Amino acid sequence: MADKNTPMDQRELMTLQNYLQEYGQQAEIFVQQLQMLENGRMEAHAAIESLEGMLGEDGTVLLQIGGGASVRAKVVEPEKVLLAIGSEVVVERSNKDAVEFLKERIMEMEASQKKVAETLDRLRAQMNEINKRIEAGYQQAMAAGQTPG
Amino acid sequence: MFGGLREKLKAARERLGGSIQAAAEKAEPAGNGAPAAPEPGPVTEPVPSPVPATAEAAAPSLVQKVRTLIIDRELIVSEKDLDDALSELEMTLLESDVALPATDAIIGSVEKNLVGKHRKIGESVDDLVVHALRAALLDVLGQGFDLKEYIAKHERPVKILFTGVNGTGKTTTVAKIGAWLKKEGFTVVIGAGDTYRAGAIEQIGVHAERLGIRIIQHQEGADPSAVLFDAVEYAKAHKIDVVLADTAGRFHNKANLMSQLEKIKRVMKPDLVVYVDEAVAGNDAVTRAFEFDKTVGADAVVLTKADMDSRGGAAISIAHTIGKPLMFLGVGQSYDDIMAFEPATVVEELLDGGP
Repeated sequence: MADKNTPMDQRELMTLQNYLQEYGQQAEIFVQQLQMLENGRMEAHAAIESLEGMLGEDGTVLLQIGGGASVRAKVVEPEKVLLAIGSEVVVERSNKDAVEFLKERIMEMEASQKKVAETLDRLRAQMNEINKRIEAGYQQAMAAGQTPG
Repeated sequence: MFGGLREKLKAARERLGGSIQAAAEKAEPAGNGAPAAPEPGPVTEPVPSPVPATAEAAAPSLVQKVRTLIIDRELIVSEKDLDDALSELEMTLLESDVALPATDAIIGSVEKNLVGKHRKIGESVDDLVVHALRAALLDVLGQGFDLKEYIAKHERPVKILFTGVNGTGKTTTVAKIGAWLKKEGFTVVIGAGDTYRAGAIEQIGVHAERLGIRIIQHQEGADPSAVLFDAVEYAKAHKIDVVLADTAGRFHNKANLMSQLEKIKRVMKPDLVVYVDEAVAGNDAVTRAFEFDKTVGADAVVLTKADMDSRGGAAISIAHTIGKPLMFLGVGQSYDDIMAFEPATVVEELLDGGP
């Protein structure tokens, strides 16, 4: 690859653009993953809030029934929770244990989010670097009177 | 990698060890007449004789028990001693997204290994538990897949077709395996068979250029069978060792894309069909691999993003559930971040801190 003082040829610019596109696609996948983790985390928080609410004095929860409609409901057995623990297995847990389980899951998701975010940051830094080089290449080409491809 | 599972296994291991120790201590008063030993190691429950057909046959178990207590001071673990600890291990595995059949196999193996186990004086409870867990995990992880050995034993070029769903890192995996093979001294050509996704040909082209690997490519939208056929012909003409065939991501229930894959298989006649999915998908990856194997067949599996997977469920379950070995784990962003899957190494890492 050319150093900063040597004008880039069109082929090199194209290669850099391909790199940028490839990094962009990878970044997009990581952003999707980050979003999925965030959705999972928010869902778990909402579930904890509901589970704790069930044990409150009133014991009424807001139950979403689809189509944006919700009803106030009283849970028959607020102490027993059916919980999907993974591998498509559902087990019965006490309210307290279910909350503990969800808190652990939230911690796991936060750790994963941190890792994905770090990878994304690295990718973005690399993309910025490539962008700078492409811009410099264009400017050099303009200065030299070429038409970049 | 799999840090969460490692931590949970550590806790389950301590619980198993604790159960055995507690049962041993409970039975200790019965062994008061025994000579002093460095640590408690007596019997917990009456030991079932293997074939208690007659009263006489049952007697040796008592004799054996006494002998165990007084002479050898061995530990004999009963099923009841382990009940709670095994349930906890089961929950741990399921919570880590280890598939139910694999979980059952691990629990069954640990139980079989520990129940009725005799422990000699000096042998630590933890040794016993780690040995049982190691054996159980190795059993479900299978043999792995030695690609170098496979290539060495097969006619060149060895043709490897990569399939899987969209966005799991198939193209990057093709590049990483290309780099790995090159490092191992093999010559490689890549066939850019993903002519469907915009930018896929450029993506694999960038990888190939960086790695100095020859790539065979056609225009976007071209017939992938034709591209991969050309790649195989190129490899034959230039005595290349391995053809790595990238393909478009697809779901097993998309009939048109699956029939395209069938055509690719007919035309390029791959030696190996490798299914690629991401470890972070957990049990979904196992289910998808199972469906893919049923529809188009798979000879081995590669799991990407294993470095971001703290649970490890997919890696533990996939070989046992679909009956196909795990070949590589993707563990990062650079070309070197791929590791050949060696069950023994993974088990050692999972039981880290154990003997």
